[in-house]
Amino acid sequence: MASDNGLVCFTNCLLPLEDGSLVEQDLWVDERRGVILDAQRTFFLRKERPSKTIDLGGNILSPGLLDIQINGAYGFDFSVYDGDEEAYRQGLKTVAEKIVETGVTSLVPTIITQEKSLYPTLLNLLRPLHAPNSASLLGWHAEGPFIQMAKRGAHAPEFLLPASGGFQMFEEIYGAENLVEREDWLMTSEGQEDTVGVRIITAAPEVEGVKSGLAEVVKRGVVFSIGHSIATTDIATAAVVSGANLITHLFNAMPQLHHRDPSIIGLLGASPYVAVPSVKSPVSSSFPQIPRISSSSSSLQKKASGVAGSEAFDELDTPPQTPVLEAVDSDLKLRKGAVTHMPFERPFYEMIVDGIHSHPNSVRLAYSSHPDGCILITDAMKILDPHLRDGVHEWRDGKRFVKEGDKLYLEGTNTLAGSVVTLDKCVRNFTRFTGCSLGEALKCATYNPAKCLGIENRKGTLRAGADADLVVFDRKGYVQSTWVKGREVWKKVAI
Amino acid sequence: MRLIIRDDAKSVGEYIGNYIAKRINDFKPTAEKPFVLGLPTGSSPIPTYKHLIKLVKEGKLSFKHVVTFNMDEYVGLPEDHPESYHTFMFRELFSHIDIPPSQVNILNGNAKDLIGECNAYEAKIKSYGGIELFLGGIGEDGHIAFNEPGSSLSSRTRIKTLAYDTILANARFFGNDISKVPRMALTVGVQTVLDSREVIVVVTGQRKALALSKAIEEGINHLWTLSALQLHPWALIVVDEDATAELHVKTVKYFKSIERVQDEVEAMHEQFRASGGKDITGGQDA
Repeated sequence: MASDNGLVCFTNCLLPLEDGSLVEQDLWVDERRGVILDAQRTFFLRKERPSKTIDLGGNILSPGLLDIQINGAYGFDFSVYDGDEEAYRQGLKTVAEKIVETGVTSLVPTIITQEKSLYPTLLNLLRPLHAPNSASLLGWHAEGPFIQMAKRGAHAPEFLLPASGGFQMFEEIYGAENLVEREDWLMTSEGQEDTVGVRIITAAPEVEGVKSGLAEVVKRGVVFSIGHSIATTDIATAAVVSGANLITHLFNAMPQLHHRDPSIIGLLGASPYVAVPSVKSPVSSSFPQIPRISSSSSSLQKKASGVAGSEAFDELDTPPQTPVLEAVDSDLKLRKGAVTHMPFERPFYEMIVDGIHSHPNSVRLAYSSHPDGCILITDAMKILDPHLRDGVHEWRDGKRFVKEGDKLYLEGTNTLAGSVVTLDKCVRNFTRFTGCSLGEALKCATYNPAKCLGIENRKGTLRAGADADLVVFDRKGYVQSTWVKGREVWKKVAI
Repeated sequence: MRLIIRDDAKSVGEYIGNYIAKRINDFKPTAEKPFVLGLPTGSSPIPTYKHLIKLVKEGKLSFKHVVTFNMDEYVGLPEDHPESYHTFMFRELFSHIDIPPSQVNILNGNAKDLIGECNAYEAKIKSYGGIELFLGGIGEDGHIAFNEPGSSLSSRTRIKTLAYDTILANARFFGNDISKVPRMALTVGVQTVLDSREVIVVVTGQRKALALSKAIEEGINHLWTLSALQLHPWALIVVDEDATAELHVKTVKYFKSIERVQDEVEAMHEQFRASGGKDITGGQDA
């Protein structure tokens, strides 16, 4: 039943705040405008109070979850486009409509490396979409084509490209209209007022041309994520200084942590005293040191001939480097507490917390080193569907896969074929793996991703003015109901 | 005057909460004849508010036809500042009960014309026919509302400079930075409180013990403004054991005996009403 004055009060609930705490507090929303209200202002200035109250029985009322890396779900693959726009749009709608049962109210459809002529069309189809009773599609996340051959994972080697010419090449591949300034990019979406839209590009900063195009990409309002890369510590740090603020599926498709050259993973521990001196040295000189590995190299041929493997398990030796440490003359810090001021912000990092793509110990290690940067993602394949039974299922090109819980193998092999975990399960796993509270885990699937994308005034938060995208969790972390723009779009069926 | 002593602050809150609920329910308020309630801020009334909220949630009490007037508000502090009394009242009481926002009155400490604001407040109280029941707390120096020591006992709603004691005590709410504590407040006067038909004051904790003894065991004195309550015909002070630390044993014993007798009187009165007698409020052993 709708509220008489359009205002709804959620009561008897715990609210996860932006600092990860859970507080017992009411939440007021305007179901007509679909936004969260400043309750006190509504009371004293608008002289109104909700005419409808919903008692949540002590459950948790969280901002809706955000999944910023998801390849598909419910049988639809964002990366597969056969020329039928209508069918593609229908696929998007199906995913958006169904995914809310996993607590996700916003997602960024992710496409893996494509044949280059497909990008402009595909990215244009992935403009923000807000269908009724569905999760919001916020834009797109393009993984590739400017990624490292040696860390390509499931990406087709023949489609990988260098970004020779820097930003020009970015424009050529993704389409200039898709890389325009944020406002212009959103304006062209039809009939969408007040649209939240985001764009993410995953690329390897050591690939030719990527570094020089990076700053301009970021300037246009696109989030640059380091991934599928073998960047050295210096290159990775320089990329962050140039504006990269995200790491794609940490631990996967990147060099493992080497203590002398901790590479991309090492950014989580970026030392305040080391990061800047290394950046001051002429950066350009360190780039040509990494040769591009051609797809004709024999070891890679062997891999390429195999089936699409998991990005977690390929490996390339990383040459150790000597860390740069300049003598610091100033007085040392005397006060205990927060780490000294960092000359640059450490990037956010994505983690697939299915217990398979990263060991629980690794998850805890990363989270402990940089809790505010942690973002939970599913990186799910199109077969993601919580109702799908275990067993053998058809995939594509006559191949079949075996689903065993959250594990997914190609039939007859022990090669992981990707992730099928739901984001709400990642949240539950995360609290167990790290020992953090449910509120802190939810922060990693709500506020952190929103902040990384620069949309934390509208999504991933319960602050006044934000979209009333909400998920009710019980205290064990299971989704009870999902709300988009102040309306209930999914409710757990009582058994 | 009556003095009720309970074991701890929580029991004090339950006693007052039940008492107020009974008064409102007996009053049978309507839209035309609302129950007019005066309310304080501070830590003392919180247990009472908690209990009132509980009663509302259990359906035993409604604020639909209750009009409230708050005692005071800081001058110059934004309404949505975490330490403003608007914020306090919303957080601790109004957001949890069914009171219509239009029936809530709090002084506007950001009004351009502060004197006009105070006069209009008094006028608005009068327009409702005065306050039926004023709930209050006290400071360690015995102040009621922001009527600091030395305030006129016949004062009305006005601008008041805070005493240094109060500023020091409130500094903990402003990051222990005295310079951030507002220096002025708008407050109802002592006479405004005395004009209400009934006054209930909550006094809990050892730190308030001296103020309590000064207010009820010594003479009326503008340095302990709560003492003006001695002139009120229907006043009730509810305290916890800690707050009685400075009282004479004789005082405590006397008030305990009043409570026993009062219970008997009320039982008799109930019978009287049940047999068709007319109820007259105020006939208490005060």
